[in-house]
Amino acid sequence: MKTRNIGVVIRREYLNRVKKKSFLVITFVVPVLFVALCCLPTLIMLNTKEAAKEISVIDRSGIVAPALADNETVTFIDKSDDDVDAVKALVAAGESDALLLISPMDVDEKTVNAETYSLKPLGIDMTENLNRQINDAVEGYRVSSYGIEGLQEIMDAVKPHIKLRTITLDEDGGETISESGVYMMVSMLLGMVIFMFVTLFGGMVMSGVIEEKSSRVVEVLVSSVKSIELMYGKIIGIALVAFTQFLLWIVLALVLFVAAGAFLPPELMSSVTADPAALAGVDGLTEAVPSEAGIVLSTLANLPLVKILVSFILYFIFGYLLYASLYAAIGSAVENEGDSQQLQLPVTIPLMLAFFIALYAFKAPDSALVFWGSMIPFTSPIVMLARIPFGVEIWELALSLAVLAVTFVICAYISSRIYRVGILMFGRKSTFKDLWKWFKQK
Amino acid sequence: MNIIECRDIHKSFGDKVALDGVSLEVPKGRIFGLLGPNGAGKTTMIRIINRITVPDNGTVLFNGAPITREVVEKIGYMPEERGLYRKMQVGEQAVYLAMLKGMSEREAVSGLKQWFIRFGIEDWWKKKVEELSKGMAQKLQFITTVVHKPSLLILDEPFSGFDPVNADIIRKEILRLRDEGATIILSTHNMESVEELCDNIALIDKARLVVAGGVDEIRRRYGNNDVELVYTDADGRHTEVLPRSVNGSDTLAQFVGRGVTVNSYRELMPRMNDIFIKLVTGKEEKR
Repeated sequence: MKTRNIGVVIRREYLNRVKKKSFLVITFVVPVLFVALCCLPTLIMLNTKEAAKEISVIDRSGIVAPALADNETVTFIDKSDDDVDAVKALVAAGESDALLLISPMDVDEKTVNAETYSLKPLGIDMTENLNRQINDAVEGYRVSSYGIEGLQEIMDAVKPHIKLRTITLDEDGGETISESGVYMMVSMLLGMVIFMFVTLFGGMVMSGVIEEKSSRVVEVLVSSVKSIELMYGKIIGIALVAFTQFLLWIVLALVLFVAAGAFLPPELMSSVTADPAALAGVDGLTEAVPSEAGIVLSTLANLPLVKILVSFILYFIFGYLLYASLYAAIGSAVENEGDSQQLQLPVTIPLMLAFFIALYAFKAPDSALVFWGSMIPFTSPIVMLARIPFGVEIWELALSLAVLAVTFVICAYISSRIYRVGILMFGRKSTFKDLWKWFKQK
Repeated sequence: MNIIECRDIHKSFGDKVALDGVSLEVPKGRIFGLLGPNGAGKTTMIRIINRITVPDNGTVLFNGAPITREVVEKIGYMPEERGLYRKMQVGEQAVYLAMLKGMSEREAVSGLKQWFIRFGIEDWWKKKVEELSKGMAQKLQFITTVVHKPSLLILDEPFSGFDPVNADIIRKEILRLRDEGATIILSTHNMESVEELCDNIALIDKARLVVAGGVDEIRRRYGNNDVELVYTDADGRHTEVLPRSVNGSDTLAQFVGRGVTVNSYRELMPRMNDIFIKLVTGKEEKR
C-alpha cells in the first residue's frame, strides 16, 4: 500500500463530508434532538393534561359517589337516581363523557364492582384516578365500619414511607450513594450511542462505495490507486469525520453544561464537584437525605468516566472498522442502495441483536447472555458499552477488545478481496454466491 | 522500441476465459488500435496493462522492464464506463484525480488551468459536476486523463458521447499528444477513426489475438490487391480496376503508350470495417 495515495483519498473523503452543509446540520441538530428526546416525556406529562371530562356516576352502593372528588381533569355528576340505559344514551349522544357504574356492595359488604362506559376509551391517567378514588372510598367505608374512633388517623400514621438507597462500596472502604436508575440510563445511552455511531458511519462508507460504483468514477480511481488503498482511505476518512463530529458534540455538551450551570441552583451544581463520599454522609442513615438531583449527579460523577470514555473510543474504533469494512464489501456488490437490503442482512442482524441486548443489559449486567454478548466480536462494541457502567474487569475488556481486533483483521481481509472485484462488476445484481466467487478469485 | 509488451497473457474469471495467451507489442510514439467485438477481452487486456487486474499468467513489460506500481503514474486511462463524482466541484474533482496520479496540488492546479483555458472551460472550475452536460463532462474527463502528462494514454471508446465538433477536438488532441511523444492505445468500434488515427492495430476475438500489425500492411494483406487506374482519353474520364498481379510499371507504360492522360493510379485497400467483420464473423460483408 502507498501511504501517499491513502492520504490523498482520506483527505478527499474527509473534507468533502465535513464541508457539506448536512454535516453542520447534524452536528447541531442531533444534540438538540437528543435533549428534546430526553425532555419529551416530561414535557408530555406536563402539557398533555386531558381536557376536563365530565363523568356521570350511578352509584348503587351509596358509598362511592359521596367520596368522589372533582379535580382539574374530571368532574363527577351524581345520576344515581337515573336509569342506566338513559345515562348510557346520554353518553352515546356525547352529552356526557362517560358513565361510571358502581354495583351495590357485595353480601359481605367488603367490595364493589365498577364499570365505565364511554365512546372513546378513557386514558390511563383517568382510569388510574378512578380506580384509586373508588378504592379509597371503599377503604374509608370499611375503616369506619369498625366503629373505632380515630382509626383512620391511626392507619394514616402507621403507613410507612420508605425509600431504598443504594450505596456502593469500593475496595478502600469508601461509600458512594448511587441511584441504580442512573446506571440504567447511562448503560442504555452508551449502547444506543455506539450503535448509532457504528450504523451511521458504517452506512456512510457503504453509500460512498455505492456512489463511486454507480457514477462509474471507480474505474478511473483504481487505475491510479490500489483498490485496497481506496477502501481504507474511505474508511479512515469517514472515521475522522466521526471523530470530528464526536469532538464537536463533546464541546457542545460542555457549553450546554456550563450554560446550565449558570441557570441551575448553585447547591445542585456544587453537589457534583463536592466529595461524593461526603454526600453519603459518615453515617448515611442519620444524615439528612440528599436531594434526588444531588444523588443523580453524584452517581454520574462516580461512574468510571475515564474507563467509559477510553472504552467508548476503542470500541467505536474497532467496532466501526469491523462493520465499515463489511459495509464496504456490501457496497461494492451493488449499484444502488435499494439493492443492498438483502446483502445487508448479515450485518444488520447482529447489530440489531446487540442493540436489544444492550437495551436490557441493565436488568442483569452479569448474566450469561450479556457476558457473551460483550465478548462475541459482532455484538461486543455495543453490549460491552452497556455493561461498563456496572463495572467490568480489565481482563474482560482486554479479551473482548483483542477478539474484536482479530476479527476486524480477518473481516478486513475478506472484505478487501470482495471489494476489489465487486467494484468493477457492473450491470447485474449480485448474490452471496457472487461474493464468495469474488473472494476466491485470484 | 515498444513501450508495452504483453507476453502470453492468460486471464480467466471463474470458468470464463477472458484472455487465452494474448501477446501484444505497442510501439512507442504511435497510436495503437485495440480492436475486437464486445466481450472479446479488450477491457480485460486494458485493465491488465493498467494493473487494475492481475493476469493469471504472462508478463507485461513497460519500456522493456516488468511493469510496476510506479509506472501506473505514467499512464493515463479513460475507461469506457467513465464518470466523475457528481456532487464535487469541477476543479476539486480534477485536482483530486491529478493528485492520485502523483502530482502535487500546485502542479495539478497550474496544469489543469492550462488545459481548461485550452478547452475554453475556465469558468467551470467552481461548478458542480452534476451541472455539466454530458459532452462537457466528457471534456473534463479527457483533461483529467492527460493532465499528468502520461507517456502512455489508454482511451476506451474516447469518442462515444461527443458531438462531431467535440469529437474532432479530441481527435486533434490525440494526434497532438502523439506528435509530442506520447503513445496512445485506442480501443474503439469506430473503424473510420481507426483508419484515420491508428498506426498499428491488434484485433482480439474470443480471448485470442486474431491479427496484429501496421494498419496499411493489414489492409493490404486482407485486400485482393486490386489497383484502380483513372485516366482520360478522347472519350472522357475512365476508371478501371486491374488485378495487382500484373506488373504495375508495365501496365502504366502500356496506358501511357496509348496516349491517354493518367489521372491517378492507386492501390485499392479494403476498409477496416470490412476486415473487422470478415475476421470476426469469418465471412466477407457484401458491399
